[in-house]
Amino acid sequence: MDVSDVISISKPSIARTNVIDSDVEMSDTETNGAEQTSIVTPGELVTDDPVWMKGHGTYFLNDNIYSSVAGNVSRVNRLLSVIPLRGKYQPETGDHVVGRITEVGNKRWKVDIGAKQDAILMLGSVNLPGGVLRRKSESDELQMRNFLKEGDLLNAEVQSVFSNGSASLHTRSLKYGKLRNGIFLTVPSRLVVKSKNHTHKLSGDVSVILGINGFIWLSKTSTSNFTNNESNIAGNRVQSAIDGQGSYNPGVGSVSITRLEEESSWEIYSDKNEFIPTTVRDTITRYYNVIRALSYGELGITDQRITMGYQASLQYANVGKLVDKDAMEQICDDVITNEKMRGNL
Amino acid sequence: MLLSPAERQYLYDSLVQNPPIRPDARNVFQCRPLEATTTFLPSSNGSARLRMTDGAECIVSVKSKVVKTADTPNLLEVDVDVQGYRDDSNFVATLKYNLSSLLHKNFPFEALKLTSRYSYKLFIDCIVMSNTSYPLTIISMAIYLALKTTKLPKLVSEVDDVNVEEQPTFSDDWEDAKTLGEATGSDFQPPVFITLGVIGSSLLFDPSLEEEQVLENGLIVSFYDGKAQTPLQNINLALNSNKNNYKGLKSTHIVSAISMVNKYCGMIIHALDTLIDQDEGDGQVF
Repeated sequence: MDVSDVISISKPSIARTNVIDSDVEMSDTETNGAEQTSIVTPGELVTDDPVWMKGHGTYFLNDNIYSSVAGNVSRVNRLLSVIPLRGKYQPETGDHVVGRITEVGNKRWKVDIGAKQDAILMLGSVNLPGGVLRRKSESDELQMRNFLKEGDLLNAEVQSVFSNGSASLHTRSLKYGKLRNGIFLTVPSRLVVKSKNHTHKLSGDVSVILGINGFIWLSKTSTSNFTNNESNIAGNRVQSAIDGQGSYNPGVGSVSITRLEEESSWEIYSDKNEFIPTTVRDTITRYYNVIRALSYGELGITDQRITMGYQASLQYANVGKLVDKDAMEQICDDVITNEKMRGNL
Repeated sequence: MLLSPAERQYLYDSLVQNPPIRPDARNVFQCRPLEATTTFLPSSNGSARLRMTDGAECIVSVKSKVVKTADTPNLLEVDVDVQGYRDDSNFVATLKYNLSSLLHKNFPFEALKLTSRYSYKLFIDCIVMSNTSYPLTIISMAIYLALKTTKLPKLVSEVDDVNVEEQPTFSDDWEDAKTLGEATGSDFQPPVFITLGVIGSSLLFDPSLEEEQVLENGLIVSFYDGKAQTPLQNINLALNSNKNNYKGLKSTHIVSAISMVNKYCGMIIHALDTLIDQDEGDGQVF
């Protein structure tokens, strides 16, 4: 038996990033007016040219613009801003996020989405059991904890962003709602690459939701969510009838006109997991470690990269080995080599 | 930390399986990887900094003082400071108590003896900069590294001062300073703590924050002199948890915990020693 099977202790490595440009070089590039990005640190002079307008991440002092964060300089027309390398997630309308309920309040939930302030989820912005066409009633307000309570995880979309930067969420779609059958992990929000779709089915019966806020949900691919056939709807009707016995469920017995109504039974707020086979649990841990490795290597996280990382991880039969620094670096290297070979870089 | 019921159930169901499926697929006896540096505080006799991959970080400094042996009840003083916790909080007090009792019970105090009147007193100060899971293991490993690299000045005056009233004097040359191991003349290995999580019939080394939330019980076992030692006690590792799963401890758990610690802790000590060997002569912090 090897020592590294029990623990690996290493010396801290020196930061692997390239040497940051000095001030002198930067002012050279600015006089050229080149549209390029460079890394600046807080308090560093970005420009003394008065044509630039100060944007986010900068401050203005004695006719000079300085950076207030560590990050990349971005120039859009005459607007100069610094995009921070690290920092809290900044919500934008339309973002698909994963969040955790922190508070149940008056007709609203507070949701931790990793931003500066908790986001708000209004009672009117969720699918209530019984379908969209139902009006929300006073009894819904009284039993908000039966839908979502403190600690519950959900995925949602940012509906709007208030002037103070906090967000309002909604879950008015079948792809949003409470999360089950899986495990949660976080990565720095900057690493999640925005794309059209943030829910991905991966091989091995595993699904992943890559929240733009860096909250990630890995779960067993649900049998009911992605199939769209008659038998399933019928099954749900039976299920909701069972669920409904002796409890509050308006709309369940009535004739339905949309599938949304069928799906919006109490089932969507259930806390019960499906049966998850051991093989799926093992696969989930492998994906979990692959995502952690990508995050360790500061690689942007996309479903292709997760798949590539998964392929690269297969050389390690013992998944537990993937927590080691060497293995994580190996996986990142493999992913980058793979992308280069495909010509993606 | 609050988990949703579905998450909690998933974690619990994975961990009670045999063998348990830990979220990061570690083996039951596998600890999380660490990054460590030693001898970086210039004004301390020994120091160590330990960082875990989840961001937990701990700095330990060992300082020494010459005291009259007769006037000093204990020659080791441990102080713990955890960011975000009051010094008089239960959490910090428990950590401090555990570490003090571990070191008082298992330490070669003869290494600190200078003359028949005087001794060194060691002050071990631990700062936990950030922690997610229960920080006892990381603190005790940092103490191990700091004590192993502690260098004490060489005594140049007479060792026997029973009849002569004499202040001890020390060599000016720092190169002459001896580590505690050299002072005892044997292989000096300070004691360490290992935290184990109990779930179902399994025991998990070094449980992570998520695992702690669903554990049925927790154990801390000390390891010294090549085998498991006292103090050995059970503890609730999950802070601020409503302890849904908290259960009693079976005697078989304790027996298997001791045998696991006997089997695998030697390797942890070995890994720590290897790091010290690599770190010699390199005074860089980062």
